Amino acid sequence: MTESAIAKTATIVRSAFRGYYFKPGMIETPEKIEQREFGYMQFGQPGMARHLSFKSMKELTATVMKEVPSDIYCSNAYYRFPTYPMQKKQWLGADLIFDIDGKDLHLPCVSSHTYPVCAACGHASSPGESKEYSCQACGGKKAENVSIPCGKCIDGSKKEVKRLVEFLTGDLGMELGNIHVYFSGNNGFHIHVSDGAYVPLDPQARSDLVGYLAGSGLMAESVGVRKGSAENLFFIKFPKSGLAYGWRGRVADKLKIDGSSIIKLRHIVEQKGGYTPFKVDLDRMVRDMGVRIDPQVTTDVHRVFRMSGSLNSKSGLAKMKCGELDSFDPFVDACLLGDSKVSVRVKTPVKLKLKSKSFNISKESAELPAYAAVYLICKGLAEAS
Amino acid sequence: MQFSYDSSNLSSIRMGTGDLAKYPFLNEAGEYLRESGFGWEELERPDMKDVIDRAAERVELEVGGSVYEKLDRYEIEILTFLVSLIMVKSISLEPVLKKFALAEARRAEKFLTEDLRRQSETQRRSLFAKIFDDLFKLKIDVAQDGRLFKVSVADYLSRSSHFHEQEWKLINRLVDRGHVYLDADETVRLVRNELSVLIYDKIKAMTLPTLPQSIKARADELRSKLAPRYEYRATAVTDYPPCVKHALEVMGKGENLPHSARVMLATFMLAIGKPVDEIVMMYENAPDFNEKITRYQVEHLAGMKGSHTKYSVPSCDKLRNENLCFATAECDGIINPMQFGRRRK
Repeated sequence: MTESAIAKTATIVRSAFRGYYFKPGMIETPEKIEQREFGYMQFGQPGMARHLSFKSMKELTATVMKEVPSDIYCSNAYYRFPTYPMQKKQWLGADLIFDIDGKDLHLPCVSSHTYPVCAACGHASSPGESKEYSCQACGGKKAENVSIPCGKCIDGSKKEVKRLVEFLTGDLGMELGNIHVYFSGNNGFHIHVSDGAYVPLDPQARSDLVGYLAGSGLMAESVGVRKGSAENLFFIKFPKSGLAYGWRGRVADKLKIDGSSIIKLRHIVEQKGGYTPFKVDLDRMVRDMGVRIDPQVTTDVHRVFRMSGSLNSKSGLAKMKCGELDSFDPFVDACLLGDSKVSVRVKTPVKLKLKSKSFNISKESAELPAYAAVYLICKGLAEAS
Repeated sequence: MQFSYDSSNLSSIRMGTGDLAKYPFLNEAGEYLRESGFGWEELERPDMKDVIDRAAERVELEVGGSVYEKLDRYEIEILTFLVSLIMVKSISLEPVLKKFALAEARRAEKFLTEDLRRQSETQRRSLFAKIFDDLFKLKIDVAQDGRLFKVSVADYLSRSSHFHEQEWKLINRLVDRGHVYLDADETVRLVRNELSVLIYDKIKAMTLPTLPQSIKARADELRSKLAPRYEYRATAVTDYPPCVKHALEVMGKGENLPHSARVMLATFMLAIGKPVDEIVMMYENAPDFNEKITRYQVEHLAGMKGSHTKYSVPSCDKLRNENLCFATAECDGIINPMQFGRRRK
């Protein structure tokens, strides 16, 4: 792409973003705004402006309208001095946040809507091509795999969100009103918990919580299977506190045992082939029942998160609070850019559905509503014509 | 020197001398001494020799890893605790202070567990209030069956996540509706660390005047006996841990290694003293290898760039959560890959 084409392409996206941010009240006000660190990225510029602080939404909106950033972030942490370097900020606590990303679910549909985009020249090709990538235009060997999530991807993520919410309200006893679900603006969901008890927790404590939710590290002993003196020997002794609740209850249900089924459990373990194979099986079972959350996101207490109501430059969609998760359709509810016509060059035939309108683009040059043009440009599948 | 303890946060219930001998770190123990007219000069009296002997025994035993269990004469034990604090302060060796504080915590833990098991509902409630709630802001309730205790998940996590045994991981606990259910010794174990920090801080905050000869001589004697134990001991790394081996294998095959695994590999290699140049070349086979970027990142982890923070090797817990742990039997009991195969010479 020529330099002028790059500039023209960026202008299309930037002016659509500007139109969005000029409408009042698009960005959700974070609590204790003065204790948060903010950051943003700008079109065509590498790196992030970080360690910023805003006293009010008015200040923040003024900056957003002036700069028209490609992405806007706010810390989950509260600091005494948000603008100081990391070591001197004085961390006061951080909201508990979970990230469920469609790409971590490894759904079978993904390959059918993943487009390789050459890292060197930006050439895009159709999904489902050979594993060894070689760019048809420049021969480059590296490609970025761009996914246009489909309904199944979103449903898969929603299923994980529901599972997570069940854990949070059931096992962890959180109030439903304290759990806020957001569409990430691309292919997943962020779950913010506003329960003050979790705010002071350090990364280690959060990591333990992640282990719980993800189903990692359950000992066979916790469900009553104890290691014997020799390899693969075992004996059954149930924990004093029983098997009634939490993970123990979940596994007990699955194995159809209770705190008195010594013989039945022994039989199950013997059938598996002893302690070690039982443990391997248990690990797999528990992982399957756990929630697929990104452990890094929850344990990082110094991270900046995309702000609710801001646009995601990977898609042009907004990060949005979901009212009813079941009926929430990100391709309608979070697709908020205008529909003025824009001419673009589409790099590869592509299908997508936005604002309930299906687009099946097979020709190179197309005139599309701004929201669809921006979506394809952000995905790297189109450019200014 | 004054034996004054801040008493502002104690509840109104008075404790008996038996309780104070068990839990001499409570502010009320200081009050008790003051009320009984005890002063600094008393320590010079010849009949204090027994207290000083007991205190020296207490320090030596506890620094050796055992717990001083005597509780036969309440007043004497309250004094013994005080004198042992003075001795530890005077010895002024960090490991001695740490070990003593931990052993004192374990001593209190033993009594607390017994009390929680045996005492009546009212007495248990007063223990909860005085020790768990007043000192450590930990709210404890008795579960419906009257046998187990329950604490909130957040309170549990903020303490247990620093324990390294697998059974303390939240997933291995009985969890329901925001509460973790624990038996008496587990409940008390939860605050061991805070007990030990409390005692540690008490000693750290003390200022000693010129000590009576009787105590000074015993403290010096203990110091020369204990000091040689804490001289530097070298360790030797015998082999790479399986997680590092796995990362090296994946790299060797030219396959893609997740970012977190790359961080683990680099921090590990930096920690064992490998030069940056050598570490950078370990990533040579990566499909996206870029020497400049890799070098910057390794130097960043080494604390040579950016924030100048030197990154430590991620813990086994963290690696487990990220599916980067490939533990073998030889890993048994370690909590960080750096401990793998380390033996004291």
